[in-house]
Amino acid sequence: MGHFDRTLEFIDQLQHADTAAAVCQKLLGITSEFGLTALMAGTVPQPGTPRGQQKDHVLLCDWPGEWLERYVARNYVDHDPVVSHMKQLQAPFQWREASQGIRIDKSSGEVMGDASEFKLCDGMAFPLVTLDGQIVMVSLGGEAVELSGADFGLVSLAATYAIGRAMQLHTMAAKTIDHVELTPRERECMQWAAVGKSEWEISQILGISEHTSEKHLLNAKSKLGAVNRVQAVAEAIRRGYIS
Amino acid sequence: MLFSLTTQELMERPDLWEAVHRLRYKIFVEEMGWTDLQRPDGLEVDQFDHDEAVHQLVIRNGELAGYQRMLPTTRAHLLTEVLADLYEGTPPSGPNVWELTRYAVAPGFRDGKRGVSTVGTELIAGFVEWGLKRNVNQVIIEFEPMWVLRALQLHFLAKPLGYQRTYGNQQVVATLLTFNEHTLEVVRSRRSHFAPVLARGYPDRLGMRQAS
Repeated sequence: MGHFDRTLEFIDQLQHADTAAAVCQKLLGITSEFGLTALMAGTVPQPGTPRGQQKDHVLLCDWPGEWLERYVARNYVDHDPVVSHMKQLQAPFQWREASQGIRIDKSSGEVMGDASEFKLCDGMAFPLVTLDGQIVMVSLGGEAVELSGADFGLVSLAATYAIGRAMQLHTMAAKTIDHVELTPRERECMQWAAVGKSEWEISQILGISEHTSEKHLLNAKSKLGAVNRVQAVAEAIRRGYIS
Repeated sequence: MLFSLTTQELMERPDLWEAVHRLRYKIFVEEMGWTDLQRPDGLEVDQFDHDEAVHQLVIRNGELAGYQRMLPTTRAHLLTEVLADLYEGTPPSGPNVWELTRYAVAPGFRDGKRGVSTVGTELIAGFVEWGLKRNVNQVIIEFEPMWVLRALQLHFLAKPLGYQRTYGNQQVVATLLTFNEHTLEVVRSRRSHFAPVLARGYPDRLGMRQAS
């Protein structure tokens, strides 16, 4: 089977991948043939983004775990030559071009040196721009990378489809979380909580036990993903369940 | 508002006809450097502006803000005649498959910075609406690979028709996009604009601003 047919088959299979992990696995199945065995893709954090939030930017990741930990802990994202190369919105390029292109400061050299400790000796990377103008950086690496010019196109196209699928899964997940059903009783209890009634007052108004009104409020709170009643009320109003 | 006109209808409105071909020249010859299409009159016209082509125009404030041209695949079109190295095997064709060409947003309307401008997404909403009305559910587009991601974000089903190629300094990949009502919903909610964009009739004379 030719390269192109395999790409089509891969894209077809992606439609059935229901998790980011499955998407990753499918993509690496294609790219490992070129020695690209590790993958990282995500939106670009602004320089100085708190470390705790950097992982939220990740869309697809099959990267040595310890390397990722070290990368975040040492804030390598601000020094990585591959990242700075991508921010200039370059077409697909090989890692080694990125480190050749710029004068390596001490920390850039450290990032690349450290990467090879984790068997990430070379790789390829490229940026994508989403509908709303966010930059997505895609990086694939491995120990023995062999890529011809034509392979570049194939790998970047396959990766683009994989990222697209990951983003679809991302928005679908956001939608499921976004769609919560409150029962009529939960809604009623929230409505009274919103005007400052206590659990006991609500129970008197609705003619139910205090315990039951508390249970309805707790259920509503957890369905709305809120940490306390104030946030639950705010969420319920924002989503239009109560007014 | 997006107006969908046949070549005949476009020719009956010299102001629109000239604005369309001048915008195309500006974008495809001057900006993108497609020198084969160079002409001294600064108008870009090709053999596919035939009587079955459909011209879609976005008009903002009495100005031509965006444009795209739809070509039926039941007769010669760009992919089969000009860009034949962009497909492998047999390219899709039929009454439900059209080719989208000359997608263009006028320079003054590129408010999207790096992202897609509102005129750009209106063109997308426009061809999907237009297609669903006349049983067209697939378009062939030759675009930069970057657009694959955006198409997937809008829940088009995308499929490459061949390898990506480099023309000048541009990467191009021919892609088949399949869409349905769900795609239209996603496009509309992305735009936060749920009303149809496809207008009936003709736009007012260009340069005539709507009274506000």
